[in-house]
Amino acid sequence: MSVLNTLLWWQWMLLGIVPLAIFLLYFLKLKRQPVKVPSTLLWSRAVEDLHVNTIWQRLRRSLLLFLQLLIVLFIMFALLRPGWQGSDLSDDRYILLIDNSASMSATDQTPTRLHEAKQRALAIVDQLQPGDAAMVIAFSDQAQVVQAFTDSRSILRRHIERIAPSSRPTNARDALQAASGLSRGAGARPPDSPAAEESLPATLLLLSDGAFPAITDVPLTNLAARFLPIGRDEVENVGIVAFSSDRHPGPPERLQAFCRLFNSGSQDATVRLELYLNDISVDVVELTVPAGREKGWQFELPDLEEARLRLVMLPDDSLSLDNQAHAVLNRPRRARVLLVTPGDPSLQVALQTEQVAELADVTLAAPNVLNDERHQTLAASGAFDLVIFDRSQPVQMPQANTLFLGALPTTTHWNWRPVAGPPTLIDVDRVHPLTQLLDMSYVKIAEGHVLLPPQGSTLLFESLGGPLFAVAPREGFEDAVLGFPLQTSEDGTIVPNTNWPRRPSFPVFLYNAVRYLGGSRFDAVNTSIRPGETYTVSSTLGNEPLTVVTPTGTRHPISRDGSGNFICTDTDALGIYEIQADDGHVIRRFAVNLLDSLESDLQPRRSLELGPDTVVGVRSLEARRRERWQWLLLGAIVLLMLEWYIYHRRVYV
Amino acid sequence: MSSASSDAPLLSPQLLSRLERLELVSRKVFRGRLKGERRSRRKGQSVEFADFRNYVPGDDLRFLDWNLYARLDKLFLKLFLEEEDLHFWALVDVSQSMDFGTPNKLHYAKQLAAALGFIALVRADRVQIEALSSSRHASGPVLRGRRSLGRMCDYLASLPAKDNVPLAEGVRNFRLRSSGKGILVLLTDLLDKSGYETALSMLAAERMDVYVIHILSPEELEPNLAGDLVLVDAEDGQNAEITVSSPLLKRYQRALHAFLDGARGFCARRGIVYLSANTAIPVEDIVTRYLRRRGLVR
Repeated sequence: MSVLNTLLWWQWMLLGIVPLAIFLLYFLKLKRQPVKVPSTLLWSRAVEDLHVNTIWQRLRRSLLLFLQLLIVLFIMFALLRPGWQGSDLSDDRYILLIDNSASMSATDQTPTRLHEAKQRALAIVDQLQPGDAAMVIAFSDQAQVVQAFTDSRSILRRHIERIAPSSRPTNARDALQAASGLSRGAGARPPDSPAAEESLPATLLLLSDGAFPAITDVPLTNLAARFLPIGRDEVENVGIVAFSSDRHPGPPERLQAFCRLFNSGSQDATVRLELYLNDISVDVVELTVPAGREKGWQFELPDLEEARLRLVMLPDDSLSLDNQAHAVLNRPRRARVLLVTPGDPSLQVALQTEQVAELADVTLAAPNVLNDERHQTLAASGAFDLVIFDRSQPVQMPQANTLFLGALPTTTHWNWRPVAGPPTLIDVDRVHPLTQLLDMSYVKIAEGHVLLPPQGSTLLFESLGGPLFAVAPREGFEDAVLGFPLQTSEDGTIVPNTNWPRRPSFPVFLYNAVRYLGGSRFDAVNTSIRPGETYTVSSTLGNEPLTVVTPTGTRHPISRDGSGNFICTDTDALGIYEIQADDGHVIRRFAVNLLDSLESDLQPRRSLELGPDTVVGVRSLEARRRERWQWLLLGAIVLLMLEWYIYHRRVYV
Repeated sequence: MSSASSDAPLLSPQLLSRLERLELVSRKVFRGRLKGERRSRRKGQSVEFADFRNYVPGDDLRFLDWNLYARLDKLFLKLFLEEEDLHFWALVDVSQSMDFGTPNKLHYAKQLAAALGFIALVRADRVQIEALSSSRHASGPVLRGRRSLGRMCDYLASLPAKDNVPLAEGVRNFRLRSSGKGILVLLTDLLDKSGYETALSMLAAERMDVYVIHILSPEELEPNLAGDLVLVDAEDGQNAEITVSSPLLKRYQRALHAFLDGARGFCARRGIVYLSANTAIPVEDIVTRYLRRRGLVR
């Protein structure tokens, strides 16, 4: 606290005489007014009784003196204009966005960046003026309104202190949208409604290290954004930004683990990587990662049916969450595939490759099996993972994924129309797992149909007339439909309808289909997710109840969602999760890793692109002197009134 | 504080007309000096038979009891009670403490003395107004009959408030210069620092019919003082420095009530009739209601 001298020295001298004069006046002999009375007999008796409490008598006389001295002291102190350096909080509504993502666990600020952000938020709350309102939003990859608008500082403090760190990456979009939405639409609500309170203009205070990309498409209407960067400059950190494992395809079969490190510091860093296979250290390597660059490494391991890998990077640095990564290799489960075909050697051969044989057990059946009640029962009970209908249609759609080649599913949602002339492929979706790595060049089709798929379909082959291959969801399953058959019948003779079976992409297509539609995609793909993301377990893997065991040892039951798959949502902790069946055996494992170069880059941003503006970070809000001399004067007035009351009402202690 | 000399007459004509119908009542029978309307212990001429005695030559033959002579053949003389007058004293405290209040306590006491004296004069009682003084010799005039009213009022009016004699000494001097027994009414504020007990005990020992009218002004009963004061005693000039406060006023009231209760109790134990009189109460009310209730007048 500081004071400002508002008087000259001689003025202070004069003012100093006042309390001295008051003091002397009280202790000079009191001039008493003489009053003649008939007799002092009774007065003496009354006064004698009063003299028993001598101490209180002295106090009684001193009370007025004390009060008057106190009044003068208050006034003198008010003239000194006591105050302190505060922040410029000139608005009356504030939205505090506090980043609690993984990077805010960095220890370059003691103890963590999040703690520093909370302390600064608490300091802002302490400087709110009476009547100011504030709300608090904590955000990582999701925004959470910790406290709605309130003018209660104690409530704000309590909720700010409760904000806990997370291991999630940063996505400030939700938070900015929430903040923007609350400040938009003033006047659309009744003026006295709580919602109206929350829709007035406000100052947005963002306490974060800025580890997220620019957000320019969220309008910050009615918001004055200010960015308070958290974190020290020149922070050294190396983080694991990628880690995965896979089986090497060629002989001899072995396991490979890939990792990539990112050095966000300004100096080259040498780190030691230790790889644990099923909690046993199997490899150690020392790497030097250049400043500001990435470096990858590949580990070679013996093949195992299933494996738990843990990569540890030493030494510890400012952010420990990116110093470990996990990967799992699950036991591959063979898909159960039924091929219903009137006969197509190319199709059968393509499904008998070694690669497909590793993934699935393929059963061959003629189309007449579709009328067999026993088959229908099997199909309805989910006995197959994938049924391929070659120029055939079931009586009823099976409880499985399907691939229709030149036929439509038995539902009203699918339709097609014939194409005049040979269809010409013009586009292939090479990202979708069904059609990835497909080179459809030089594939010719004699005849076909343009598909009219249901809503929500994904179009995979496009032709001049429309889609030729599409996949659509169906009550927890997927139906992929190829609009042209591989063979047709001319005058009772089976002739090829396309040269695709002779192209290298055809067996790849079938491999993709078996892998994706047969359920095997759940095996190798998506064994690692980010914190907070959901992990989906295929409905074909087991029946309820399933239990997920987190890296911290807690167990949660998981149940099916609307599509029939099991959804695991409690994925905040980093590490390996196990999905167990009712009898305790492990069905699947998956890993949760940070693996985010933005989070591992601990250099605090100096400015952010928020909305249409570039908001430059400020270390602190503008300093403004805050004074309290008004309260001192008010206190002096209250004391004056008390002194008047005591004097006139003869009130004494 | 008002002056003792008041221009207002002691007794108004209306009050006089009411007082004429009253008479003083004594609780005891006293020996008088002159023939009056009161029964006396002495044997004399009246219609009330008292006793017999043997006839001796020279006795009045009209008082012989012939019935008794017829029975006993001896001559006896009938004796009758003498009718004598009542002595009434009004003893007025004329100390400086009485010269206080609105209405003035001394004037009030004089009015009471005049009213009671007038009642006695109308009944041909012997009235003597005395002031508590340090002198053993100076006494007030003896008054009889209605015609002595003026003289009585003049004497009362002439009494100044200056004799700060202690109560006990004043009563002792009164007894030394006065004799006889009768009704005595002491009009005083009892504010004697040496105490009232000795004075009242002396009066009770005289076996007179004693009444004490304790006169206090409204300013003494409910003082309206404030601030830092030095109280000066009107009689001895002693000072008491006080700072008036609510607790002090409460303690004063407590002391006052204790004083009044103490005087009442003391009088009751000695057969003295005690009456506390606020000078705000009209004299007529004191005489016709309060003193009537206590049996002094009827």
